[in-house]
Amino acid sequence: MAPQPLMVIGAVLFGLGVIGFLTRRNLIIMFLCTEVMFQGVLLNLVGMGALHANLQGQVFALFVLVIAAVEAGLGLAIVVLLYRRKGTLDAEAWSALQG
Amino acid sequence: MLTSTTAVYSSYGLAVLGALGVYLAMPGGGRRRGVPALLIGIIAAFGLMVLLLTQYAGTTGQCVSFFVLATTSLLGAVRVITHARPVYSAVYFVLVALSSTGLVVASGAEFLGAALVIVYAGAILVTYVFVIMLAQPSDSEMLTRGGPLDYDAEAREPALAVVAGFLLIAVLGGMLLGRSWPAAAASESAAVGNTLGVGQVMLTRYAVSVELAGVLLLVAIVGAIALARKIVSPDPAARPPEGMAVGEIGRRVKPF
Repeated sequence: MAPQPLMVIGAVLFGLGVIGFLTRRNLIIMFLCTEVMFQGVLLNLVGMGALHANLQGQVFALFVLVIAAVEAGLGLAIVVLLYRRKGTLDAEAWSALQG
Repeated sequence: MLTSTTAVYSSYGLAVLGALGVYLAMPGGGRRRGVPALLIGIIAAFGLMVLLLTQYAGTTGQCVSFFVLATTSLLGAVRVITHARPVYSAVYFVLVALSSTGLVVASGAEFLGAALVIVYAGAILVTYVFVIMLAQPSDSEMLTRGGPLDYDAEAREPALAVVAGFLLIAVLGGMLLGRSWPAAAASESAAVGNTLGVGQVMLTRYAVSVELAGVLLLVAIVGAIALARKIVSPDPAARPPEGMAVGEIGRRVKPF
């Protein structure tokens, strides 16, 4: 099967992650939406690799996996610190600089 | 098989339909719109699958597995971004991760699929669930409300965000569907097998990148430990404590 459908699904997943990141106010869910975006990027990398008939797309996807793990670990550590400070996960509790 | 112009315009129509479904599924507004949102979402996902499968042919088994996995993935992603309870969002994300792993495996990347299951469904999701449980509101706010908290139950600017996101989806999808691609050549891994091929490429051509990824993981471990040991005093008034300037808050506390 051609890889283009995979890439379209990846694009839709990325867009859904963007929507979630913009609309949700819970810090944890915002990070979860970035993981949805990572899934979209992974599907696109695999599709591109299949289109060019080489394995570099899959290798890049593995590196993206490393970045996702690092991002989840550090981001969630920061979220726990922010929660201890304010006692809420609302992202708008931190909007000190309102334009 | 539609012409590429027809395919592009039908993908725009599907994006509008999907935007409507996601907007209706957004939490908040004090209305219950779950059933129409689900119907519109299923119609949009079904239409997208039909469009993709008419444009790009495959064997029947490939088409069926793609249909099932991709529909599960998309509807799961919509539930991740619209569910009002964080734990359910995390569980739906497991669904997204597993079904997109299925798509990856179906396109011939077995090693990446195994790594995705281990790292995403195994490690990252456990971290998320731990943090969701650590950061539960300790007071009885949730019990007295009898439902999700304010910041989970009310989406922030859902209409604008849905328009922006589906504009991005329409542009990307239309570009992917509209252009003609060269025929996919025979895969590089067909001769040696996927795992061996990925290993050879990764450890020869990208050996330095593998080392850098290891250094990055080490730095992240040190950083996470430094962050976790930090003692943070609660700040209920959301103001700097007495006798402390604003810029001083983070500096009084030593990480080690």
